[in-house]
Amino acid sequence: MPQLPHMPAFLRRYGTLIGFLAIVLFFWTQRPQTFMTLPNWVNITRQMSILGVVAFTMTIVMVTGDFDLSVGAMASLVGIVAGSAFQSGAGVGEAVALALLVGLAGGALNGLLVAGVGISAFVATLGTLTVFRGLALYTSGGASIYGRVIPAEFSSFGRGAIQLGELRIPNLTLLAALVLALVFVILRFTIVGRRLYAIGGNREAARFGGIRIARLRMLSFVISGLGAAVAGLMLFSRLSTAHPTQGEGLMLQAIAAVFLGMTMNEEAQPNVLGTLVGVLILGVLANGLTQMQIDTYIQQILTGLIIILAVTLSSLSQRGLRAPEWLRRLLSERRTT
Amino acid sequence: MRKFSLFLVLLLAIGGAALAQDAPSIAVMTPFLAQPGTQLMVEGFEAAAADKGWQVNVIDTSEDIAALVSRMEDVALQGVDAIVINVDPTQIEPGLQAAADAGIPVFGLDSGAHPLLATNVTSNGYTMAAETATYVVDRLNGAGNVVMFIFEPYPPVQKRGAIAQAIFDNTPDIHIMDAITPSFDNGPLEGARNAMEAVLLAHPEAGSISAVWAAWDDPALGALQAIEDAGRADEGIVIVGIDATNQARDAIARGSNFEATVAQDFSGMAARVADLVEARLGGMMSAQVNHYVPARLVTQADLVG
Repeated sequence: MPQLPHMPAFLRRYGTLIGFLAIVLFFWTQRPQTFMTLPNWVNITRQMSILGVVAFTMTIVMVTGDFDLSVGAMASLVGIVAGSAFQSGAGVGEAVALALLVGLAGGALNGLLVAGVGISAFVATLGTLTVFRGLALYTSGGASIYGRVIPAEFSSFGRGAIQLGELRIPNLTLLAALVLALVFVILRFTIVGRRLYAIGGNREAARFGGIRIARLRMLSFVISGLGAAVAGLMLFSRLSTAHPTQGEGLMLQAIAAVFLGMTMNEEAQPNVLGTLVGVLILGVLANGLTQMQIDTYIQQILTGLIIILAVTLSSLSQRGLRAPEWLRRLLSERRTT
Repeated sequence: MRKFSLFLVLLLAIGGAALAQDAPSIAVMTPFLAQPGTQLMVEGFEAAAADKGWQVNVIDTSEDIAALVSRMEDVALQGVDAIVINVDPTQIEPGLQAAADAGIPVFGLDSGAHPLLATNVTSNGYTMAAETATYVVDRLNGAGNVVMFIFEPYPPVQKRGAIAQAIFDNTPDIHIMDAITPSFDNGPLEGARNAMEAVLLAHPEAGSISAVWAAWDDPALGALQAIEDAGRADEGIVIVGIDATNQARDAIARGSNFEATVAQDFSGMAARVADLVEARLGGMMSAQVNHYVPARLVTQADLVG
């Protein structure tokens, strides 16, 4: 049976990273004046910080083999909740606390439905997505919340930065880095993290090993809900506007980022550093293609194709690149004649 | 190396699409390019820009406002000569600020007034809504039940609903049965159609619904489909919309219940913005916050013959 040689291990592991660097190099050569500049990279990290927070916390859910489709709707709802709180005269601390509580409750509801009731994560979070979206639309009456009701200190956080010498690091970038570090520590250095991977690897074996699966799956959804809430607040603060559907684009991009990150792992497991590369790939593509003035619809097609390409090549390398059946038959016929 | 080379091939393939950098470069940015009115404006601007020898980059973020802000920051760093937006400016302030910091003027194309905009060109929403609402009042001889399709989140459209409601409220025998915001999940046409089907089912008696007033044409067309499919086209329900899209003009021309719409001069607005951009690139500033381009009522009489 003819079988093409396996990819070298380092290419299998770092192929996506090399692809990312190739994309960076390409944009650098195409837009030497504007792409590889400090302001542009600061710009990219700020733009990707919100998606990053959703994707990093989504990684925890996906480690256990589940999905959370409700994160985008939750991010929108949280913005509306905080905005409504501001309209009612609440201060920043109260509004943020209430918003985070909503994220926590939404995550707990997802966890209860999936881990407690036993509904598939796809169906349960599709249902809560619709509920959260409806709540956001109902609470806001379909209208955006913006203007003077939003305290200046809340808006200034999303637009502010910390000055380190010449470098201005956006607050949003720092917050995303903090969430990244937290998720990294949880998954890499804690018993909870190892057990989450055990659940994702083989749920039955984990059960027989005495791991409390329902509790940990529940926890993963709570973290995802909290992540979506933090992202929703970041989005609200950045735009100074809460719109009942403004976070909905986050969900598919977050899942795409986690999948891209999975291609950087020999066992194709979700891992948060891989997710970071996935987020950066999406961010750099959007930024670079915009600077190159590529039609935005072509941008979407290219981004989708690159995700499919990376995941397909990774999948093939996991299995080993085998020639298709018809080719193997043809080759063996030739050999016999 | 397969991944590496395939990435490069893909990206090099589109590299040729990057245009020359000599002519003034204008970014046209909107999350609403799928809307017919926006398409007409963008096409009008592209035509005007081609006459002036400009390089135009149209960026649509498919209803994603946050993405639009990010793309504005990108083009500000890229250093385009001007940005034209079709979106509520209050929702994209970080993008406007990024453009202001880079010294790039931003022009509103049927968006709204904002201190960070050089100027905004639009139709007078109050006038358009008044035209169609008074058409309904006149056709009903001042008495009847009206279903309204409104859209609060977008200020230029919200204005239309507010004025129409004021006119109906000021007419004692006109009763607003419902003010519906159509769902956008499958487009406003489908959302309005579903909502209108529900209203028709809730009011099955002939003559119980006198008119449908829509803040733009898509929900008017959705309501028309629902009324025709329910077999209630002969009840004399009067439908009006705003924007005069081609689909709306066709419906009016064939003598359906859809009787009137208002034609915004989208090409005229786009041409006016192009002139204002040209003046600004030439160093002239406009102190006028809003430039209004006149709109006109369109009925079957305007379309047939």
